[in-house]
Amino acid sequence: MKITFRDNNLPPLWDKIEAGARLTLEDGLILFRSDDLIALGRMAREMNYRRNGDAVYYSLNQKIEPTNICRLQCRFCAFSVQPDDPRAYELSIPEILEKISPSIREVHITGALHPDRPWRYYLDLVAAIRERFPQVGIKAYTAVEIDYFHRQFGIPVKQVLKGLKNAGLDSLPGGGAEIFSQRVRLRLFPGKISAKRWLMIHRVAHLAGIPTNATMLYGHIETIEERLRHLIMLRELQDETGGFFSFIPLPFQPGQLGITPGNRATGGVDDLKTIAISRLMLDNFPHVKAYWVMLTQEGASLALHFGADDLDGTVGGERIAHDAGADTPQSLARENLTGMIRETGRIAVERDVFYNPLRADGEDIIGKIPYLNSVPFYHHFPRQPFRLLPLAPRQMGILSRQGQIAGGPFSLMDYLAQDDGLTMLNYCIASPREVGSVLLFSKLPWTGLEAKDIGITDDTATSVRLLRVLLEQRYGVQARLRRLRSHERIYDPYQAVLLIGDEALRRRKSGLPGFPLVFDLAGEWFNWQQLPFVFAVWACDKELPEKKRQALAGAIERSLRQAEGKMIALGASYCQGIGITPKEAAAYLAAFQYRLGEEEKEAIRIFRGYIHD
Amino acid sequence: MIDGILQKIKDQRRLSPTEGLALLREAPLLELAEAAGEIRHRQNPGGMVTFVVDTNPNYTNICVNDCAFCAFYRRAGAPDAYVRSVDELIGSFKAAAAAGVRTVLLQGGVNPELPLSYYLELVTRTIGEAPEIHPHFFSPPEIMGMAATSGRKLEEVLTLLWEAGLRTLPGGGAEVLSEQVKAIVSPRKGTARDWLGVMRAAHRIGFKSTATMMFGHAETDRDIITHLQAIRNLQDEYDGFTAFIPWSFKPGNSPLGERTGRQPQALRYLRLIALARIYLDNFPHIQTSPFSEGKKIGQVALHFGADDFGGTLLEENVHRAADFVNPGSMEESIHLIHAAGFDAAERDTRYRILKHFPRTERRMA
Repeated sequence: MKITFRDNNLPPLWDKIEAGARLTLEDGLILFRSDDLIALGRMAREMNYRRNGDAVYYSLNQKIEPTNICRLQCRFCAFSVQPDDPRAYELSIPEILEKISPSIREVHITGALHPDRPWRYYLDLVAAIRERFPQVGIKAYTAVEIDYFHRQFGIPVKQVLKGLKNAGLDSLPGGGAEIFSQRVRLRLFPGKISAKRWLMIHRVAHLAGIPTNATMLYGHIETIEERLRHLIMLRELQDETGGFFSFIPLPFQPGQLGITPGNRATGGVDDLKTIAISRLMLDNFPHVKAYWVMLTQEGASLALHFGADDLDGTVGGERIAHDAGADTPQSLARENLTGMIRETGRIAVERDVFYNPLRADGEDIIGKIPYLNSVPFYHHFPRQPFRLLPLAPRQMGILSRQGQIAGGPFSLMDYLAQDDGLTMLNYCIASPREVGSVLLFSKLPWTGLEAKDIGITDDTATSVRLLRVLLEQRYGVQARLRRLRSHERIYDPYQAVLLIGDEALRRRKSGLPGFPLVFDLAGEWFNWQQLPFVFAVWACDKELPEKKRQALAGAIERSLRQAEGKMIALGASYCQGIGITPKEAAAYLAAFQYRLGEEEKEAIRIFRGYIHD
Repeated sequence: MIDGILQKIKDQRRLSPTEGLALLREAPLLELAEAAGEIRHRQNPGGMVTFVVDTNPNYTNICVNDCAFCAFYRRAGAPDAYVRSVDELIGSFKAAAAAGVRTVLLQGGVNPELPLSYYLELVTRTIGEAPEIHPHFFSPPEIMGMAATSGRKLEEVLTLLWEAGLRTLPGGGAEVLSEQVKAIVSPRKGTARDWLGVMRAAHRIGFKSTATMMFGHAETDRDIITHLQAIRNLQDEYDGFTAFIPWSFKPGNSPLGERTGRQPQALRYLRLIALARIYLDNFPHIQTSPFSEGKKIGQVALHFGADDFGGTLLEENVHRAADFVNPGSMEESIHLIHAAGFDAAERDTRYRILKHFPRTERRMA
């Protein structure tokens, strides 16, 4: 992907990004001052492609605003009213349940700071939705509301969040961040929580296992530097917790508020630049959202070319933006969204509240394992004719069973379970000795784990099965394996925890407090069997035409061959989000065996024997 | 294939219709924009975007053509049908001139009740009585109408208009210059060949004109290429086109709109701007239309190869009749051009610069 730069200030930054280095505030200023919009877009699109492949995410979702009666009267808000206002409304829990369509998969609740509803109401609302619609993810209450609950009811923030999580809350929306500049906050939103407090609440949420989003309201009186500081503060928190899903830049809707000169709205060029630069600065954020309700449908579909990969969703009802004069239809059906995505040539991926793919629309989709160990397969993977969809190993198995993907590297267990429907290709992810990224963090030695609880990751069946084989057949230990929920980070109740992938790599380096023993499962297998362990094998749908199968094998071979010469550079470009050094990353990659040889086949045969026992 | 075409563009070679079609259908959006941007900066270096202070009134809304996409026209005798007198129009031009307007883009319906003398008088008196105003009058369907009602040949009508002082023609009424498309959307307005015939005759006399395209209704990708190919060929003959101006069909209040419904056109529009810049290698200017495409997309198009921001449009009725209103002003045009990263300049209808409005802060080092 060669980019033609018209602005000579950009190539050094692009080199930096390609080498996996992080952009600074000064770099961000250069990006914002650049007039080379198309090059900015191409850089951001490329960075997004590396992370998200061809996927564009959306959800079947609905926004619920239980009331518009608010204690705050923010200058820019045309939604909130006083209790005696004729437009004031409040919905009861049964009324809200009535409004929720059973076909959605995510509900997004934001409201206003109502003066006299009891704490019970907020918990009951979440619990009632959870009970009535178990398949619907609940994204509810911005940091502003969480802080309000804390003050109103005298409950510590941590307890507020834990209470809501126990009631069934899955994630927090990213609203209320506005812009993290005290100068701007004092002028425009003096009643709102401070930036520091917003960040603190999200930190506490992340540590409590509640993932969140983050927004930025731009295009009012903020400076470019204030935008960049906002992005960098989010990036720093993300380094610390990894709890953010999506970043959502929101263009200010000027209405008739007299905040911008001539009540001018943001320009289209500014909107696209902001999307692109957000993607480039937020190197550790999984997603950048083009929120069509604010950007318009056309603006959002254009933003998909400038680094965005997330279109929010069908959005059942949307009052806040409409009361301020946003000019978009009330809601879009799935077909409308998938049509927008198809037009860009990408894969329309319906997600759940945790960004797990539920359905993928598109042809010739190849699963992409989003872990560092798979980078050699994908970094040079040709853009045509296949499209890449990032999938955790377990999800790859599920989507393959549903016939939604054409191929990919399957977790060994998934391959063995489906081998009548799959054709094996001669590539694998195998570890001759220690792997470094499939680790059991334990409070006790192996033999001490008898009848104990072990927390296991949700992402892969193979590592879990390997753990079980080691426990039972090597050490003769029966333990209870308990599945951790997506994004759960509370490990205290367990005597040991199995972590895999980049999270394991991170923890190998930083350690997991309270779990002093670390067992490398591939190393354990080798010490026992004197064979490598095969974590995954490449395979494709048996129905895939011969020509395409060959094209796929050719693509893997070419990509791998290019990667093999430069593992150090590859390690450097991808180690950023993980928190390991380029050298550590390169050493990690170099230790894998990516071609399926006789030893690997023998290892598969033996493992299959154990699991059939 | 796309890579080969992009290389051909870099080598400054002319594209074939097949190559144009491949770009339109398959080129990734930003790669297309990048190639168009390179040409734009090569052809019009210095990062300047021009605009014209104009107004876009109509002398009549009575029209015999019954085009399926049009929400503006009325049949003769309709309660809201009108014809404006020459006096009234000249009065309004004087008022517009006082407000700073330098070009009047005047079009009608095609109204057979109006004699040729009406049109000639409009031109002569505009030049005599509102000398600040450049008359940019009468699109090809109207010229054809004048020929039909006066019984004169096209060349004669055009020569009379030239002698009266008219020098430029607006490029409206082209829609998509493909016979199949015209037969669906505007069967009585003349064929694609007719439109090109008027422009050829005009350019031969010395007129300058724009070329427009209204897309997003009944046309195929091939029709788009046919259109671009036709105007590129004509431009090779007389070099009479100043600019190409695409705009998207506005479905409001028209029979064609009931059939097509509202479809998002922004990406298509940007693709066409970029493709036009690449394909029309003999056109000096590509015009974006913030008025018809919205300010955001209109501004973004400056990075897809457009170098002209069109008119500020003090008065406009045709889009308005389709419930599409997007009022602009000179100040706003300058602001949008600057914010996109370009210097602004006011031009006349022949694209001569009248006044520079440079950015006070140069953003690119």
